[in-house]
Amino acid sequence: MSALSLAGMTRMGDLQLDVDLVVEPGETVAVLGPNGAGKTSLLRLLAGLLSLDSGALAIGGATVDEPGTGAFLPPHLRRVGWVPQDRLLFPHLNVARNVGFGPGVDADRVAGLLDALDLTGLADRRPDECSGGQAQRVALARALATDPDVLLLDEPSAALDVESRHLINGVLASGNATATLLVTHDPVEAATLADRLVVLENGAVSQFGSPREVRSRPKTRYAASLAGLNLLEATASGTVAVTALGTRVVLAEPAEGPVHLVVPPTAVALHRSAPDGSPRNVWQATVADLQPAFERVRVVLDGPLPVVAEVTPAAVEGLGLKVGSKVWAAFKATEVACHAI
Amino acid sequence: MRRLLLAFAGLAVVLLALPIVGLLQRMPWSSLPELLGDDVTLDALRVSLVVSLVAAIVVLVLGTPLAWALGRTDLPGRRIVRALVVLPMVLPPVVGGTALLFALGRRGLVGQWLDRWFGLTLPFTLAGAIVAATFVALPFYVIAVEGALRTARRELDDLEGVASTLGAPPLTVLRRITLPRLLPAMGAGLALAWARALGEFGATITFAGNLPGRTQTLPLATFLALQSEPERALALSLVMLVVALAVLLPLRDRWLPGR
Repeated sequence: MSALSLAGMTRMGDLQLDVDLVVEPGETVAVLGPNGAGKTSLLRLLAGLLSLDSGALAIGGATVDEPGTGAFLPPHLRRVGWVPQDRLLFPHLNVARNVGFGPGVDADRVAGLLDALDLTGLADRRPDECSGGQAQRVALARALATDPDVLLLDEPSAALDVESRHLINGVLASGNATATLLVTHDPVEAATLADRLVVLENGAVSQFGSPREVRSRPKTRYAASLAGLNLLEATASGTVAVTALGTRVVLAEPAEGPVHLVVPPTAVALHRSAPDGSPRNVWQATVADLQPAFERVRVVLDGPLPVVAEVTPAAVEGLGLKVGSKVWAAFKATEVACHAI
Repeated sequence: MRRLLLAFAGLAVVLLALPIVGLLQRMPWSSLPELLGDDVTLDALRVSLVVSLVAAIVVLVLGTPLAWALGRTDLPGRRIVRALVVLPMVLPPVVGGTALLFALGRRGLVGQWLDRWFGLTLPFTLAGAIVAATFVALPFYVIAVEGALRTARRELDDLEGVASTLGAPPLTVLRRITLPRLLPAMGAGLALAWARALGEFGATITFAGNLPGRTQTLPLATFLALQSEPERALALSLVMLVVALAVLLPLRDRWLPGR
């Protein structure tokens, strides 16, 4: 039984949202897409604030919206927690009353969540006295307080400070095995928090797969540009980061502790022999796969740094690249973006 | 240029303040307790309070759903209804009273049936005075609440949506989200409507007459007293002035912003 299954269509204004999506229990799915693609509408549809024109939506195996049979479960009966992009805290209630708004949420639950999200000192504050990061944490606590089966997060770390991000990720990780949908613009967030990515463009799913799948075989230009970034987990110390495979990556600016390294595929250069000169990160790799992608070819590399390089077809020909070929790969330290985890 | 403008502005202030000064300057302060304590005054005060308070309740009960229908639905014909709502504000009250007479009078469009079927007569009764007061007061409330609803429509939609995802059924959402957000506008609109009902003259005298103890309200008693007993008229005016100020003061933040 899937946690959530949607196959349906709804029209709102100019946008037609036509989505096929199955989320398994315990899974976190990130929804990526350009502005106006229908990401927020998708969340509203799942919450029951919009309804389907055709098709069906089931949550936890129970049909909640099926225009064909007239079935429609209103939002307050769906057990779906929604953290909207604008937070939408109730302006006339203080933080504690916002978190405790849901019927049946008791004071202990509120106190526990305030504590977990470092909000205890703000319990009596009005929403307009909270910073963006605090408001975000309050909105999350309010949604979690009702113990939802499905959690919908709209841009959870937009405008968040690093500390709020840590707290939120921690609370999400320790939560019950609820299915989570996460709308985001941030490919790093998508790849680090999500088990699978949904790329939504113009109201339709253009790709649905694991971050690695989307990275190595993006089906659209948007997927390639946004979800197709190379992402490496590493531990930084000064200007050197060591990946899980023990490979050293040189950074342009010093960092400390666990980090995510993001390298655009276009920044990875391929050479027949070991290059000399400025690139600080050079290694020998094996070509695992070759994927044509929009006048370019994505070269999936195996080796000490499992990344994807994006090169022109002419370069592939010039280097004589085939699956299994040995090749030298390089990128500059300045091309690596380093995000603290 | 600036001086000329200031001169005209000053003239406007004088025009507004002078009548109040005139009223207070001639006020028979010494005989005030006696004038305010006699039966005529107390009857008029009682009728006025009953009429204006019942009218305020009717305004609240009928006006709130109307404001909702105008401000938060996309029903067809809203523009026409909105114009209809404003009409009593711009219509001379005497015309309103005349119209009520021909609609609800014993021979009126609806009134004849009320009379025949229910034995219900509105003209020249307390109930008629209440109908007249409601007629003129309703627009003030509806406009205030509808304006607030329209301005906050997106915000209310959003907040109500979140509240419902948190498990709150529609009535709880109404009670804990919608009404608290609308309360300031409802309070302001109701205070205005009540003040308007209290001051109503033209429609009341036309439709409900001027029967002491039954339909004679403070404004009617004041007008009557002016011809025979000007000191009583002054005393009654003072009562209404005090009431007007009492309504204005809580609203000052709304209408007198800044310093």
